[in-house]
Amino acid sequence: MASTTTTRPRPGPDRPKAGVSAHRRGLRPDRTREGLAGYIFLSPWLLGLMGITAIPMLMSLYLSFTDYDILSTWSEIEWVGLANYRRMFGDDPSYWHAVQVTATFALIAVPLKLAAALGVALLLNRERRGVGLFRGLFYLPSLLGGSVALAIVWLNIFNRDGAFNGFLGLFGIEGEPWANDPDWALETLMVLAIWQFGAPMVIFLAGLKQVPTELYEAASVDGAGPVRKFLSITLPMLSPVIFFNLVLETINGFQGFTSAFVLSGGTGGPVDSTLMYTLNLYIKGFTDYEMGYASAMAWVFLVFIGVITVVLFSTGRFWVHYSDGDDNS
Amino acid sequence: MHPALHPRRRFLRVVTAALIALPLALAGCGGDDDSSSDSDGPVELSIFWWGGDARAKLTEDALALYTKKHPNVTFKKTWQANQGYFDKLATLTAGNDAPDIFQIDDNFLTEYASRGATLDLTKYRESGKLDVSKFPESLWKYGEVDGKLAGLAFGENTQGLVYNRTKLQAANVPEPTTGMSWEAFISWAEQAGTATKVAGTQDPSADYKAFWVWLRQQGKDLYKGTDLGFTKDDVQKWFELWKGARDRKVTPSADIIHEGNATDITKQLVVTNKALTSWVWVNQMPELAKNTKDSLGVIAYPGDPSAQWARASMYFSVFRGSKHKDVAVDVINFLANDPEAGKLLGTERGLPSNLDTRKSVAEAVTDPNMKLSIQVETDLGTKFGKAPQVPPKGHSTVRSELIKAAESAQYGRATPAAAAEAFFNAAKAAIK
Repeated sequence: MASTTTTRPRPGPDRPKAGVSAHRRGLRPDRTREGLAGYIFLSPWLLGLMGITAIPMLMSLYLSFTDYDILSTWSEIEWVGLANYRRMFGDDPSYWHAVQVTATFALIAVPLKLAAALGVALLLNRERRGVGLFRGLFYLPSLLGGSVALAIVWLNIFNRDGAFNGFLGLFGIEGEPWANDPDWALETLMVLAIWQFGAPMVIFLAGLKQVPTELYEAASVDGAGPVRKFLSITLPMLSPVIFFNLVLETINGFQGFTSAFVLSGGTGGPVDSTLMYTLNLYIKGFTDYEMGYASAMAWVFLVFIGVITVVLFSTGRFWVHYSDGDDNS
Repeated sequence: MHPALHPRRRFLRVVTAALIALPLALAGCGGDDDSSSDSDGPVELSIFWWGGDARAKLTEDALALYTKKHPNVTFKKTWQANQGYFDKLATLTAGNDAPDIFQIDDNFLTEYASRGATLDLTKYRESGKLDVSKFPESLWKYGEVDGKLAGLAFGENTQGLVYNRTKLQAANVPEPTTGMSWEAFISWAEQAGTATKVAGTQDPSADYKAFWVWLRQQGKDLYKGTDLGFTKDDVQKWFELWKGARDRKVTPSADIIHEGNATDITKQLVVTNKALTSWVWVNQMPELAKNTKDSLGVIAYPGDPSAQWARASMYFSVFRGSKHKDVAVDVINFLANDPEAGKLLGTERGLPSNLDTRKSVAEAVTDPNMKLSIQVETDLGTKFGKAPQVPPKGHSTVRSELIKAAESAQYGRATPAAAAEAFFNAAKAAIK
C-alpha cells in the first residue's frame, strides 16, 4: 500500500518524479513521514493488540513463575521458578481431573456436533419451499452462543422438575435430575453444545453448494446410489470445510466455560463433574487467589491447544482434498 | 518545508505527543495522592456491596442522608448478588481499582487484610474518628487481623435454623426448639417429614457454619491459629451423622441438597418448599420470608447453643488505594453510629453494631420477621460462647472443599470415611 502511493507521481514542487534519481533524493524523508502516519493510523489496532492481548499475555507468562495472588501489590510478588508447573504435573489431582473432564467433553461433543451439523446441512441443501426458514431456525441456537441466559434455561429444562423430565413422564419414564446429577451433568453440557450446531452447519451448507453438480450427474450415469455419491463425492469435496470446522470446533470445545460456569454456579460441581479446564483455571485464579498458578495453567493450555491444532493439520494431509486446478482456478 | 505540509505535520506532532503522554497520564492515575485533607472540595466515593433489592434501597437512603449533611460528598454505588461478588472485588483490587468502601465478610477479611488490601483503621479508632465506643468489644475486635483493624463490623448475627411453621402447624407437628440434641433433631425431622410429606431438613453436611457449630460442641473448632482445629475422625463422624439421616430419608435427595447448597437466599430449600428447614444466618430471616407465602420460625442450630457466637455479619472496609481515606472512614462511621442512618438501615445487615441504635431499632421495628430475628438473637445473646478467631487465609477454599466432599458422600460416590479424608487433606493444603 505504502509503496504504491510513493511511486505514483503526484503534483507539488518537492514531490519526486517517477525517476530513479528523483526517488533517491526525495523518498527517504517522505517514506519516514508516510511510515509514521501509517503507524499512527495503525495505532488503534496496535494499541489494542499490545494492550489487550500481547502485554497481558507476556505478563501472565511472567506471573506463571510467581506466587501472584491478585490481592497483593506488585512489589510483593515473589519469583517461584517452576514451582507452579511442578505442582500442576505432580501435586494437584483436581488439575488432572479437570483435564479428564475437558477431554471427555471435547472428544464426544465435537464429533457429534459436527455430525449433527453435516446431517442437517445435507437435509437443508435442497431447494424446497420454506427451506430458508428452516435454515434460520436451525441456526438460531448458535446466535445465542455462549449466552448465560441459555445455560440458565438449560438448567431449568434438565433438573428434576424440568421440562425434559415432564416430557419423559408422558411415556411413564422417571428421569434423572440431569444437570444436578454428577453422572449426567457433563452429558447435559454436551447436549447443549451439540444443539448449537448452527455455525458449522451454515459453513457446511456453503461448502455443499460448491460441489459441482456435474460430479453427481456423472456418478448417476455410472449407476452410483446416494450412499456411494455421499462417500465418494460429497465427503471428499467437502473435506476442506470439514477440516476447517473440525479445527475451530475442537478449539472451542476445549475452551468451554460459560455453560459449565452457569450450570454449576461457578463451582464445577456437582462433585467436580463439570470442572472444565478453563473453569478450574478461573476458580484457582479468582476464588482461591492463586493467579500465578492459574497463569501457569493457562500457558500449559495454550501450548496444548497449539499441539492439538498442529496434530490436526498434520493429519489433514491424509484426508483433506483440495480440488485445485479444475473449475475455480 | 512546504507550507502546505504544516497542518499535517502539526497533526502528527500532536498525535505523537499524545501517544507519549498517554502512558504517563495513565501512570499518574495510579499514584496515591491522598487529597483527603481537602474536605470541602467535591468528593465522589465509590461503594460496593452485595445483597438484594431491600438492602440496596436502605443503603441508598442512608448514603443520600450523608450527602444531605455533606453536600460535597457524592457516591458511586454498585451492588450485586453475593454470587460473583468476591470475584469482582478481587479483580478490581488486582487492577488497583477497588471501590473506596466495600462490604466484606469474615470468609474473606483475612485474605484481604493479610495482603494489605484493606486500610488499617486502628489510628481512626484511636483518634475517635471511627467510634466503636458503643459497640460490644468482641464485635469490633472481630474485625482485627494480625493486630490491624481491617474492617468495621457492620451488624451482628448468628447461625439460625429456619423452619416452615405453616406446614408444621397444618400437619400438627410440634415446632423444633433450641437446645435439642442433633439426634433428637434428626428424629424430629423424620417425624415432621412423614407428617408433612416434605423432607424434614436440608442436609447441612456441606455447610461450614453448621459443621463449625457442631465442632465447637465437641470442644473442637474449625481453626486453631493457622492450623485446622479438628481431626479427620471429626469430619468422618459429621459425615456419618448425616449419612444416617439420609438413610432414614430425613433429607431430600442429593440433587435437591445440591440446589440448597447454593448461598442464594432464593434457593434455600425452606423457601422452595423442598425441605422443612434450612441452615442460614438469623439476619436472613426477613429476606427468606419475602420468598415464601408460608410463615417461618427460627431457632439456634441443634446441640448446646453456647457453641454459637456473635459473629460480625459483615464489615465495611476502606481500600488501601482510596484517594479519600478520611472521608471514606467518616462515611462508615456515619453509617454505623448516626441514629438516623441506623434507623434507615434497620437490622437488614444484622443487629446494628451500635448498641444504642440496636435498642432504638428493636423498639421501632414492625416487620414481624425482623422482630423475630431480633428476638431470637437477643435471647441467644445471653448464651453465646466466646467468638472464634477470624478465619485464616484459604478459608473460602476450605468451604468449597467441604461442599465437594460432602456432596460426594451425598451422591453416594464416596463413603463418609473417604470423603472425610479427601476434605481433611484438601483443607490442610488450602490454609498452609
